[in-house]
Amino acid sequence: MPKQSDSDRVAGALVAFINDNIMAHGHPIGPDDDLEGAGVDSMAFLKILLFVEREFGFWMPDEDLLRANIASARALAGYICRRGKPA
Amino acid sequence: MDRLALRGADLVLVGMHWLWRGLGLSNNTLFVVELDAPVDPERIRRALDRFLDLCPWPAARLARPFPWGALHWAAGDRAGLPAPLVRHRPAASDDERHAALEAELNAAIDPRREPPLRVLILGRLLVLTWFHPLMDPRGGQNLLVHLADLDRHGGRVPEGAARPVFVAAPDPRPLRERGRIARSSLAHMRALAAVPPISLGTGVTARGRIRFRQQRFLEREPAGEDRRATREISWRLALVGRALAELWRRRGLPDVPFLVPISVDLRPKGEPGPIFGNLLAFHFARFRPSETADLPELARTLRGRMAEALRDGQIEANAVAMDFLRYRPLRWMLRELPWTAERETFSFNCADIGEFVPAGTLFGRTVVNAYHAPAILPRPGIGVFFNRCCGQSNLVTTWVEGVVSEDEVTRIVDVIREGLGWDRTC
Repeated sequence: MPKQSDSDRVAGALVAFINDNIMAHGHPIGPDDDLEGAGVDSMAFLKILLFVEREFGFWMPDEDLLRANIASARALAGYICRRGKPA
Repeated sequence: MDRLALRGADLVLVGMHWLWRGLGLSNNTLFVVELDAPVDPERIRRALDRFLDLCPWPAARLARPFPWGALHWAAGDRAGLPAPLVRHRPAASDDERHAALEAELNAAIDPRREPPLRVLILGRLLVLTWFHPLMDPRGGQNLLVHLADLDRHGGRVPEGAARPVFVAAPDPRPLRERGRIARSSLAHMRALAAVPPISLGTGVTARGRIRFRQQRFLEREPAGEDRRATREISWRLALVGRALAELWRRRGLPDVPFLVPISVDLRPKGEPGPIFGNLLAFHFARFRPSETADLPELARTLRGRMAEALRDGQIEANAVAMDFLRYRPLRWMLRELPWTAERETFSFNCADIGEFVPAGTLFGRTVVNAYHAPAILPRPGIGVFFNRCCGQSNLVTTWVEGVVSEDEVTRIVDVIREGLGWDRTC
């Protein structure tokens, strides 16, 4: 299932970025953890969006900032993979 | 270690306060925790005493070597450290309790002569009050959790736990590099200084009592899909701007851009360590009162500017630049932001202080709610602060008596509540 593994890889990259740059050592998050519940505030979330822009080449538009797309690293990875699919 | 240097954000807080020297203004900030039953004050005293065995800063004094030494927290021997005051008052009516909280906010801590932290138990409320430059709100939350941990483990650091760190690590980058980064922030600050801000407090010259109002709300869940958007600081800032723009219009104030500092929390998320100092950087938002007419567009614009400030390193540069304020913070402020000489600072204060997530109980009691209420300066004279705890959203409005009326505060709260789709809980 290549699509699934793409999504897992993206989720892994997001989790690695978040744990290295946003979370405290010893308080890592997993791909399914709720970002807001983990303390990711507005500014920290913007850092994640800048990472997405750098790594995946697009800026997530405001209208797509729905909870279903950004609740967790896995949800965001799913959005990135869908967005990357040719129309 | 018997000295702790103040950080850049601490020095900004001290510097702004100095503009009003002689009036004895409060620089207190309160962290109010509502519990299911009153806490035993002896448990707090014991935990604070054990804490001082590990770290002296809650009992230190603010000092500065003559004539141009750096401001720092100075602590003597452990035996000579007086523990922060823990007071206890029985339960009272809601009005009496609120009056006591406002009195606590107004009773300025003088950190040169007394510990920069004190505790008040007011019925079911546990109130931590500190001199704001000692630590930021999350620092206060972490300290309380740490004290509760000591209480839970009989005053000892739990077996196997890492020894807590109380001081942030210094920036490892060479001085030359930090200097280069800081200069880029200065250029940005000079651009901001071009148009002096006005505030509802403009013209106020005397000390007024600081008032605050805290109301808690529940979010309407059906709006869950766009919940994230309304929790964004850009949306909340735009909404507070709209509420204040109404007052601007009513008072005939000009459509001069608002200037609002947005604090950026530099603490790693999930970090429970009670690190002292304000670990903050600032982003400066500017928008005209008239721009608040189209709220979604304004929120989008503010958000875009914040992203740009992160992208081009402006926020990081601000944090680095503030670290160079070690010796003459006020002189720097007066040079780079000349309107501060007239005691103007910003148009209003606004911050999302985030969520207090207590792990289990505190001192044997269950947390019901918690919020922060910081003192503010006569100019701007009003601030709006968002706090979350236990599934509730708290809106705290702080103002200086004479700057706005009770009715105006009510209107501000109503505009924000409606814009966020909140239902009042009590």
